[in-house]
Amino acid sequence: MFPIIAVDISGRHRINKEYYMVCAAVAVDVSASHIESISQIAIKPFLTTSAPDITDVVSIIETTVAGINYPGTIVVEHGDLYNQPEWLSKRMFSREFKYQESLSERLAIEFAHHVSLSSRNLLMKELSID
Amino acid sequence: MKKTIVVQRNDPNADDASNERKLAELKELAHAADYVVVGVLVQSRYPDRKYQIGRGKVDELAELVEALDAEKVIFNNQLSTTQIYNISETCKCEVMDRFQLILEIFAARATTRRAKLQVELAKLHYELPKARSIVSLLKKEERPGFMGLGGYEDSYEQDIKKRIVRIRAELLHSCKGSESLRSFRHERGFSLVALAGYTNAGKSTLFQSLVKEGTIVEDMLFTTLSPTTRSLTINKRRMLLTDTVGFIEDLPYWMVDAFRSTLDEIFLADIILLVVDMSDPVDVIRQKLAVSHDIFWKRTEGAVIVTALNKTDLLPEEDLQEKLDVISYLAPHPVMISAISDKGTDELKQLLYENLPKWEHSRISIPMSEEGMSTVSWLYDEGIVHTIEYGDSILMEIEARDEIIQKVKPFVISS
Repeated sequence: MFPIIAVDISGRHRINKEYYMVCAAVAVDVSASHIESISQIAIKPFLTTSAPDITDVVSIIETTVAGINYPGTIVVEHGDLYNQPEWLSKRMFSREFKYQESLSERLAIEFAHHVSLSSRNLLMKELSID
Repeated sequence: MKKTIVVQRNDPNADDASNERKLAELKELAHAADYVVVGVLVQSRYPDRKYQIGRGKVDELAELVEALDAEKVIFNNQLSTTQIYNISETCKCEVMDRFQLILEIFAARATTRRAKLQVELAKLHYELPKARSIVSLLKKEERPGFMGLGGYEDSYEQDIKKRIVRIRAELLHSCKGSESLRSFRHERGFSLVALAGYTNAGKSTLFQSLVKEGTIVEDMLFTTLSPTTRSLTINKRRMLLTDTVGFIEDLPYWMVDAFRSTLDEIFLADIILLVVDMSDPVDVIRQKLAVSHDIFWKRTEGAVIVTALNKTDLLPEEDLQEKLDVISYLAPHPVMISAISDKGTDELKQLLYENLPKWEHSRISIPMSEEGMSTVSWLYDEGIVHTIEYGDSILMEIEARDEIIQKVKPFVISS
């Protein structure tokens, strides 16, 4: 089993001149094709006035992952880091980092995506923003 | 065998190892299409609109063609019609790109009606965006009317579109046929196992070794184009093993689409037997496994993946373990085998058996009558009969899938 932290960011589009983003990090143990156990979930909201660039995305991910008390490699979708080559992205993180490869890593990212999206939906509802 | 020169343009910031791998794959593809590679030309630059590679490099290529007496030039990069025209004018020989080469191999190997239709569909998809320029280049001298620019181009494009629609309808019809065949096989108590993996990973050799039967096995890419299915029995459980077309890197989406019905054999299986060539460098294995996972993602319907790490006879034990450690996060249920020497096939069969859809055990008592005897015969066909005792009634210990157990539920003593 391999410990990973799958991360997804929802809301990287402008609403009312602002970017209401929610980042979710899920610490899971995976085998090659399945999620075997879930250890912890961390969710953090972020508000910016300009579109997030690559360094903002790295900082958002790092801040959210800091709330996880378990070890693991950060796993992110290619598109989240603007399809930057892996060797370059690796150098921008203070922890182990990789893009998704196996079925289980994709599954974990899908899980993180549902968490971030539904948390953001809840937040937007609370703030009465459509 | 035709002499050919392979050409590759690399992007300046592309990874060297990946470039080398792509070039090696192109050479293997050329070999599979019965060409002899007599020369290689590589250039690192951004694409040229007219020639794909630089003008000077094309002149160099023309000299190479003449010196080596090559009959064909194969590019690893996709070429536009104008680029093909310009390069062939300079080199004075036939020019094609990687996709045309793949289509040529597919066309030569397609034997069934469905495979032939799939190849034609892929060809038409490839030709469609080029239709206008092909015709305008061919009919340069004889355009209809004064400075006319229409006529031929439009009708040729329309013909291609109509043909695509017709083939799609026919393929859809033939797909429905194979899907119902699959459910029929399930109903007959067969579990479905599909071999998947990259071209030349040894799928056909493993298939042959498992079913002990002669299918064409060659050290070439794409020897299997149409799926072949044979039955296999492990510990009395019957299964159907299907050999399928191999995956290939950077296969364009229209080609994947055209071969979907062939790949469906993999996606609808109960177990996917993913064959990996362990003699490849570890980075290549990792890359190939990642692409395989990408292909399976959201397409397999709850299938269990078993990874057969093949060609282990070509490597020492320490190297194998080292490679396995690196790729283990991408290899579900791994098992080391050598299909050519039958090493590890028993272990693989056991692993396949353990991962088959679960069957239920039950003890039943059937009344001794003509109807009872026909039920016994039916149970022998549909499941596994472990014990049978004939007395006032027939006592049986059976193992079968849930639907069968449900049908004999009134006779169940214990499960």
